[in-house]
Amino acid sequence: MATPASWMSSRAIALLALPAMLFLAVLFFYPLGTLIAYSFSGSGPAANYQKILANPVYLQILQRTFTISVATTLICALIGYPLARQIVAASPRGRAILLAIILVPFWTNLLVRSYGWMIILNPKGAINQALLALGVIDAPLALVYNTTGVLIGMVQIMLPYMIFPIVAVMSRIDARLVIAARSLGASPLASFIFVYLPMTLPGLMAGALLVFTISLGFFVIPAILGGPRDLMLAQLIEFNINNTLNWGFAGALSTVLLVATVGVYLVAQRWFGLGSIWGAIAR
Amino acid sequence: MATFNSRRRFCGQILAAAAGVAAPTFSARAQSKKIVYATWGGTWEKAIRGAWFDPFTKKTGIEVVAIGGNTYGKFKAMVDSGRVEWDVVEVNPDFQWIGQKDNLLEKLDFQVIDTSKIMDGQHLITPYSVPQVLWSRVRFYNTNAFKGDNHPKSWADVWDVKRFPGKRTFASKANSGTLEVALIADGVPMDKLYPLDVDRALKSLAKIKGDIIWGDTNAQLEQFMKDGQAVTGLVPDGRALAAVDNGAPIVIDYSQSMMTWSTMVIPRGAPNRDGAMQFLKYAMTPEAQAAVALAYTYGPVTPDAYKMIPMDRAKILSGGPQQNGKYFLADEKWWGENLATANDKLNAWRMA
Repeated sequence: MATPASWMSSRAIALLALPAMLFLAVLFFYPLGTLIAYSFSGSGPAANYQKILANPVYLQILQRTFTISVATTLICALIGYPLARQIVAASPRGRAILLAIILVPFWTNLLVRSYGWMIILNPKGAINQALLALGVIDAPLALVYNTTGVLIGMVQIMLPYMIFPIVAVMSRIDARLVIAARSLGASPLASFIFVYLPMTLPGLMAGALLVFTISLGFFVIPAILGGPRDLMLAQLIEFNINNTLNWGFAGALSTVLLVATVGVYLVAQRWFGLGSIWGAIAR
Repeated sequence: MATFNSRRRFCGQILAAAAGVAAPTFSARAQSKKIVYATWGGTWEKAIRGAWFDPFTKKTGIEVVAIGGNTYGKFKAMVDSGRVEWDVVEVNPDFQWIGQKDNLLEKLDFQVIDTSKIMDGQHLITPYSVPQVLWSRVRFYNTNAFKGDNHPKSWADVWDVKRFPGKRTFASKANSGTLEVALIADGVPMDKLYPLDVDRALKSLAKIKGDIIWGDTNAQLEQFMKDGQAVTGLVPDGRALAAVDNGAPIVIDYSQSMMTWSTMVIPRGAPNRDGAMQFLKYAMTPEAQAAVALAYTYGPVTPDAYKMIPMDRAKILSGGPQQNGKYFLADEKWWGENLATANDKLNAWRMA
């Protein structure tokens, strides 16, 4: 692997990174600092955090947020991994078609997609009516206005984030390694588990981390497709920003979510070595 | 329309709020010849352009520029950062108190704005706001589900899931009338609703918890009326009328309805404060109120406007003859002061 430094001075690299750094400083780190500062405003320095602890509903919603995000990540991995393998193995034409199928919904407005799901999944919607007509079911399935609906909506939106890192890693794997394993007597399953899967793990982990962290911030999907219990923290943050103007409390909720997310990231780094993950994708 | 802020502009607001960098300055604006009006947009914006903006410009020479994204968050961000772009903002009435508490509002000049024509009603006018139009939350029922005279005629009937089976729909926000009608169903008279007993309302609501289909947006509520996912419920009158226009098999029942209003305010530090006062003065005339009631299905706040509205139009508007004596006025001051607590209780109820 040729490192960029072999043909470019480190000062030049720093200069190239400067616009991105400035962009992040102004549009990310400064607002983030302000948000955290807001969280310590109010009647006492930690009043907003005490409020979070005082009412169990906030921690319940935080827990729900994590549960939904973990479930979304797992389902995305189960669907995304075989699909990524299919994309890598397909002919150029087949690959283009598969990518188009994945990307077209990706470019469609989130709200439009959510309403689309609502119309398809509801008890009087296309799926239930078709299954009823075919005699597969006797009563409509509860596919929406519950956690099922939230997961269907979120998985569809998050799938590309899972698939693309996996495809990036898979397409760089030397297929002969698996052939070698087979020729040495490994069963198809063993060659997958001991040879192929470990090599693709960085992509899977990167995808999982992307899906998980982005899922934590969802609020349109659970609001439209979820049931009464499918409240996510971002909905609560949005309410405090836009309805009650309690920005201190919104800041505290955001900070708690941020800290929890960074915590997950650090655990993932310790277990899986994220440096190698990003390296595997960038390579 | 008059409720439910768009959530999509949320991220932009945070950036604008925190850094104040996203807001361009308008110091060079020709102060007296232009006002910026922050609106909910859509078909409503088209209606007020024809009914209010154009005639106002013709009369005063002041141009009205409409701009979207009138969320509370953006409002606060602008005023706090001292870069106010808006002169007049249409908001929900709870903002009369929420905005006042955060010192975001300009006191109105009632030497300029004539409020004498505005109807009586608790908190319709405050030192910081005038009512814009009236609208209501009304009960509907589906005529395919309930034939002939056998349909829910009260909120108590809606709570009777055995006699009237099927899903009921309510808007999911705490201050969308659900708690009020839950109390009415539980036997509280319409004139004794406030201060709202939230715990009792939630206890009443629990009786039909499994039969509710919640609408997060007005578009969802309209969809539920159209496709019959809900057979009855509480919905904004404008959305129910739109559903009827689109052939939904529903009937609107104005009994035990909740009337509320939308309101107009001037942000503290508005660039053209005087122009904004002139605009509010114009909008509070019976002529302007009649014009908007003809252009959109909201009721006028000045009773005199009905002299200029034909009967078949009047009887679909909030405050029209069909609603006479059948409604209660939402106590928006109570909501402005208790929204956060009520929302926490509603969320805890949802999670339980």
